[in-house]
Amino acid sequence: MNSVWMVMIAVFAPVTLGLATLWLPRKAIELRTAVAVAGPLIAFVMLLMVTSGVKTGLATQHAYADHEHAHQIISEKVDLTTDTLDWMPSLNINFAFLTDGLGLFFGLLVSGIGIGIFLYARGYFGKAAPTSADDLYRFYPTIGLFTTAMLGLVLADYTILTLLFWEMTSISSFLLIGWDRYDKKAVKLAMQAFFTTGLGGMGLFGGILVFGNATGSVVEGGIWRWSQMLEHSEALQAMLLNVTSHPQLLWAFVLMFIGAGTKSAQFPFHYWLPGAMAAPTPVSAFLHSATMVKAGVFMVGRLFPVFAALPLFPQLIIPFGAATMLYGGVVALQQHDLKRIFAFTTVSQLGLLMCMYGLGAIDFTYKDHVFAAIDFDVTQIANHAFYKAPLFITAGAIGHFLSRDITQLNGAFYKHKAICGTMMLAALGLAAVPGTISFQAKELFLYGILHAADVYPVLWVVMVMTIITAVCNVAICVRVCTTLLGLPGGMTEADGEHHGDHHHDHPHEHGLLAHMIWLPGLVIVSFQFLGGIITPLWNMVFGIFEQPATAANYFQYKAEGVPSLLYVAKHLGSIPLWISMFCLVAGTMLGLSKFFRGSIKDFADKIYPAMYWLAVTGGGKCFRLVQTGNLKHYLIFVLGALLLGFGWTVAVDAEMWSTLTGDEAARVFEYWPGILIGLIACLTAVLIPMTDIRIVRIVFLGACGFAVVALYLVYQAPDLALTQLMFEIISVILFVIVLRLLPKEKKGADAGKAWRIPVAVCVGLVFGWMTLTAASHNRGETTNPDAQPLGHTLAQHSYGLKTDDDGNPKLDTAMSGDVGKRGGGGTNVVNVILVDFRGFDTLGEIAVLGLAAMGVWSMLPHRRRKGIKYRKVESDYPKEALDPLESEVTT
Amino acid sequence: MTMVLAICVAVTFAVSIYLMLGRELKGVAMGVFLLSHAANLSILAMSGSPMMTHAQQEAEVAAENGSHAHIVDSPLMKDPPILASQYANEQPLATMVDPLPQALILTAIVISFGVMAFLLTLLVVTNRKTQTIEVADLAEEARKA
Repeated sequence: MNSVWMVMIAVFAPVTLGLATLWLPRKAIELRTAVAVAGPLIAFVMLLMVTSGVKTGLATQHAYADHEHAHQIISEKVDLTTDTLDWMPSLNINFAFLTDGLGLFFGLLVSGIGIGIFLYARGYFGKAAPTSADDLYRFYPTIGLFTTAMLGLVLADYTILTLLFWEMTSISSFLLIGWDRYDKKAVKLAMQAFFTTGLGGMGLFGGILVFGNATGSVVEGGIWRWSQMLEHSEALQAMLLNVTSHPQLLWAFVLMFIGAGTKSAQFPFHYWLPGAMAAPTPVSAFLHSATMVKAGVFMVGRLFPVFAALPLFPQLIIPFGAATMLYGGVVALQQHDLKRIFAFTTVSQLGLLMCMYGLGAIDFTYKDHVFAAIDFDVTQIANHAFYKAPLFITAGAIGHFLSRDITQLNGAFYKHKAICGTMMLAALGLAAVPGTISFQAKELFLYGILHAADVYPVLWVVMVMTIITAVCNVAICVRVCTTLLGLPGGMTEADGEHHGDHHHDHPHEHGLLAHMIWLPGLVIVSFQFLGGIITPLWNMVFGIFEQPATAANYFQYKAEGVPSLLYVAKHLGSIPLWISMFCLVAGTMLGLSKFFRGSIKDFADKIYPAMYWLAVTGGGKCFRLVQTGNLKHYLIFVLGALLLGFGWTVAVDAEMWSTLTGDEAARVFEYWPGILIGLIACLTAVLIPMTDIRIVRIVFLGACGFAVVALYLVYQAPDLALTQLMFEIISVILFVIVLRLLPKEKKGADAGKAWRIPVAVCVGLVFGWMTLTAASHNRGETTNPDAQPLGHTLAQHSYGLKTDDDGNPKLDTAMSGDVGKRGGGGTNVVNVILVDFRGFDTLGEIAVLGLAAMGVWSMLPHRRRKGIKYRKVESDYPKEALDPLESEVTT
Repeated sequence: MTMVLAICVAVTFAVSIYLMLGRELKGVAMGVFLLSHAANLSILAMSGSPMMTHAQQEAEVAAENGSHAHIVDSPLMKDPPILASQYANEQPLATMVDPLPQALILTAIVISFGVMAFLLTLLVVTNRKTQTIEVADLAEEARKA
């Protein structure tokens, strides 16, 4: 099978099978679970097959190179992209997948953990609970969509396709976080997560667009595929090193980092992640370990091989990452809700992962670069997933049976041995105790900081922050273990008042499926210890995904693996080991101590509500300030803008003044009848506001209209004059009728409004001036046909032309010319323009008139027709008011 | 003649703006009505003066009276945009006003009438619903709503 189809099946299997469960009967819980779990299972198997294919290709090359030159680095590249399935080729959005180590690792992680989560959901929602059937009915399609979105995001090769899946994760996580539709708080938290990650999605979108547009010089049409980006990494890195001459690339990175940072809950955008625990625990476990928040880490990892060359890369990422790491660790220690504790440790760990990429980007010149943290980014990410998912799984489980508040759980181990045992094993991973892969990962990270700090001493700050974070993590582990085991030093009810019970009154079940509430956690956490103790096995599995971080040899096989525990103890160098030991001891002491036992609030929880309040209330205030609802204010805004704009034009353009003294202005007295008519028009217009009597006003209005008709006649426009005459008469009649329906003016209605006069005069002057300026423009009465006004052409082609015997064009009155030259076929040019050249415009005009007529018709009260019975409608108005015309006439 | 038209535009615009700034919607409606006149006249000015220029008159007279041209005292008007056989030359606009602004205005007249009728109906309905057509009262209603 072609690999693109294999990946397609892998990506779309979860959502397809999730939707398929909708057809199953509601009560068929076992069947539903089986069908739904098949989704991530198929994805996992398919991706394994793809991986084996890629691995074979890589391994063959490696063996070949070994045979020829034992230690030669292979420079030949392996094509890691699949074929392309056309989707929207014209928009350069197609289905193609980049099956490199990072993408495949994430794909396998998502689908693998997904299997566990899907099974856990069955245990979590239970069978006996009354709502479980409905919950599972809704749950599997939604989480299937989420899984598909995540798989597509990490595997897509087209940048825009990645973005589409990225937004799909935002939408589906919104649905999952707001799972409890009747809990207003949960819905609010879902919106908070959606807006925050959606904002980041906008950033990513912008970054992708800017990147694509800025890289037109590298690839024709710009880079719209990740594989292209990696392929041209050398050219891109050259541009990035000289970023001042390519500022667009800088912006592309900053925007994409906003996307990655918000998704990965980097400080100060981390608030949505603890809020996201409003979701059912299966979702939290999935979201915190393998999906969603890891999307941001993945994005940075995807960009790393190229963008690491950007000086800003470490400068931006390390501070954010380190701050997030420290803040998450410190806040996590001072929480009581288990899910909140673990949520903040996730924030902390995400900061660490970001920081790791930032450190990797520092081009430090240490001679021995074998064990830099960045070379084992896959191990770091997998390590986190393998303890965080079990922690959440067991937290949800214990919440079902007892409580999620740690102060309530003293001695819980003796009641629920399996659940609490699994939780403690996972907590050992959190604390990075030797024997877990977490320990090696932390060692590598410390090693990376140490070497980076050798070159840039400022990074010692990061080292201190890491130590504090590690101490906090160990303390959390110690507190969880002592509390569950009921040992002295554990948390008790005395450590804080009991906030709202999370006890769900979960009925006990029996059978294998009932154990799914903790069993997936145990399976997942076992990888921690397998990796920690039998490290070569870990390297066999995960080594193939690790890629050298530098882009130059990105596609090469990597021979070294994560060091084993023994190796760390013997070779790695004493400082990281001592630091680890110090953290373990200090953390244990802190955990047993009395300090920091209270529950604190995260100040960042206020950020989103504050922004929301600002947008809604502040926006409302702005709206009421600008939208007064008073016509006068709107007019003053518009006219003020007009006057300012015109004043500015006059100020900067001296030619505006010349029109006042120009040729047209000088010809003012050339035609006396015209002047007379103009005077009448002006006089009648000015008289309108002079009187308070409305009928007199209308008379003046009509008189002004008739003067305009006369002006049309002077301007040799008989059609206009005729039309205006007709409409003027109708309008005046209309005005008279309507004014009878309206109340009379109050006395002195227009008095005391002296300020209106200067405004009106100014605006009138502006328009008169503008008219004069436009009309004074040289009309180009030349022989050059291109310089002729448009009316020239219209007049020429209005009827049709023919060439006479002398070769001069003549009006073709006999219509004898060939059809192509016939023109409109009418002698009245205005009519021909209306019905021929601008025929569609006239059609639109008729439509407008029709719409106006329909509007008038619908608003005016209708008379009842005889013989038709209307349903009686109660009206607020007296009968006279409903039929004013009639009442006026009869009274 | 263009100057006269420009003055007419200025005056009608000023009056219409004055009316629109008034307290009552009746005045506003009249202002809108007058505004359409002003705008139409403004477009009409784009077709240039209907009077022939000096050079155009010379050419015209020369064409009519043979070679010896003399200039008449009273200025000649251009012809309306209706074709006759004498326009069968390459320069129809030399002796004819520009037809394009007229065509645009014709459309504008019809549309402004439609808008006018709609506006007046709205006035009647507004008065019936709110018992007032004072701009300030209506703004108050809007604030309450």
